Amino acid sequence: MSSDPDKMMSKADKMTKLTLTRWSADWRGATELYEQAANGFRASNKYEKAKVALEKASKGQEMQASPWDAAKHMESAAALAQKLSIWNEVADFYRKASELYTECGRAQPASDALGKAARALEDVKPDDAIQLYTDACEILEEDGRDQMAFDLYRACANVYIKLEKFTDAATFFLRLGVAADKCDATNSQCKAYLSAIIVYLYAHDLKQAEKCYNDCSQIDAFLKSDQSRSATRLLTAYNEGDIEEIKKVASSSTVSNLDHSIIKLARKLPTGDVTPIQMNTNDDLDEDDLT
Amino acid sequence: MTVIDLLTRVDSICKKYDKYDVDKQREANISGDDAFARFYGDFETQIETALEKAELVTKEKNRAAAVAMNAEIRRTKGRLAEEVPKLQRLAVKKVKGLTTEELAARNDLVLALPARIEAIPDGTPGGPKNTSAWAPSTTSRPDIKFDSDGRFDDDYFQESHESSQFRQEYEMRKIKQEQGLDMISEGLDALKNMASDMNEELDRQVPLMDEIDTKVDRATSDLKNTNVRLKDTVNQLRSSRNFCIDIVLLCIVLGIAAYLYNVLK
Repeated sequence: MSSDPDKMMSKADKMTKLTLTRWSADWRGATELYEQAANGFRASNKYEKAKVALEKASKGQEMQASPWDAAKHMESAAALAQKLSIWNEVADFYRKASELYTECGRAQPASDALGKAARALEDVKPDDAIQLYTDACEILEEDGRDQMAFDLYRACANVYIKLEKFTDAATFFLRLGVAADKCDATNSQCKAYLSAIIVYLYAHDLKQAEKCYNDCSQIDAFLKSDQSRSATRLLTAYNEGDIEEIKKVASSSTVSNLDHSIIKLARKLPTGDVTPIQMNTNDDLDEDDLT
Repeated sequence: MTVIDLLTRVDSICKKYDKYDVDKQREANISGDDAFARFYGDFETQIETALEKAELVTKEKNRAAAVAMNAEIRRTKGRLAEEVPKLQRLAVKKVKGLTTEELAARNDLVLALPARIEAIPDGTPGGPKNTSAWAPSTTSRPDIKFDSDGRFDDDYFQESHESSQFRQEYEMRKIKQEQGLDMISEGLDALKNMASDMNEELDRQVPLMDEIDTKVDRATSDLKNTNVRLKDTVNQLRSSRNFCIDIVLLCIVLGIAAYLYNVLK
């Protein structure tokens, strides 16, 4: 067996091609050769060729009905693609790996693969990253392992915040809350709700923030928590136009325990001018109602 | 025998034969039978202790402690005063072995007791003085003066230099305490957050550990099976019959080879 990876590649290719002399492809031998070739290429820093070799090795494993090894090879191929910055291939490879993992019945590695893909694509193709994160969360939720999904939700919301799509970010935080509720993780749940409220306030959407707060107050665990108190203080401060109070709440320890991106948003509150306009409108409504 | 030995011996003998000492017994018995004498003895001791305490009070520098001790003395005096009538009743009772003169003497003693009780100094101005004069501000104590003498005008409520200083100090200390408490509360918040995060993390790990447990169990049972089968196989291989057959066949092959070698040579 020659040690030159290129030769191994060509040999393996020949083994898999069906010709007159060869009636069935010898996948086992081919896969071995592919793997060795890939190692050789990696050692000599020929990442492009290593990637191709890994792809073929993965296909070979698939043919041999061992999806686990196939998935592993796919992941390595995707990592190499990431190094080479071929982004659509990264996404594709990780997706394929994730499917293979699901075939094995292992949800955790599947979602891990998608998570890795999303992280790789966060800066470059954020929309794809978001899609990948969502898919990863769904896989975990189907398997009933919601707790692992927390990190993914948080990362996804961070991406949305970077894209300045605040409603979507808040939606994700609420989804985090739902997942936390299923696992009785009250602390994470309350933090998620507080983060959502802060995001709404940052988007200067006071009505939405109040609605969100009211919705979340239906939940006992949130109502009794520190985070709910901070939210009340924040909302009353906004209603009264008290900037000092807003700043004080934003620098309190409850807010400082949230994610970094949320802390940054909170420090930048209040966005725009905060005037106690709300009081007047409330009075008008009351007068109308009485007449 | 040394002097010390003698003394100890004498002491122990006396103690042993104390119960035959008539005089001593009579004395003890008198106290036992005569409730009055016992009571009176008690009284005397209490009065003595009260007087001692009063002496200590005069020497006491700490005003709070002095006040407390005076209060105690006053309490004792009150109690003793209550018990005097009881003692009087006992004094009138006739006890055997007592002469009439002694009886009269007892009565006198009891009557003298209230005076003696009152005489114990307890920090208030003397008895007769209290009952006679009730002038409000000019009581006997010379060092406590009520300067205003009943005048409650503007000056009275004006804070003096000392009181304003005191108030300032109090405010400063309060502020420092609040700062300290703020820091403590911040630390506690951080701790609480970390603790709840740790709690959730551990909750997350629990199902993973269960999975690991099942998988490792499966792996162990597989290994055990494999080991048993391997043992059987190796035993079969090592059976001596196979060995003998192997050796015999080997010899035959070697013999044939040697024969051929010879023939060809």
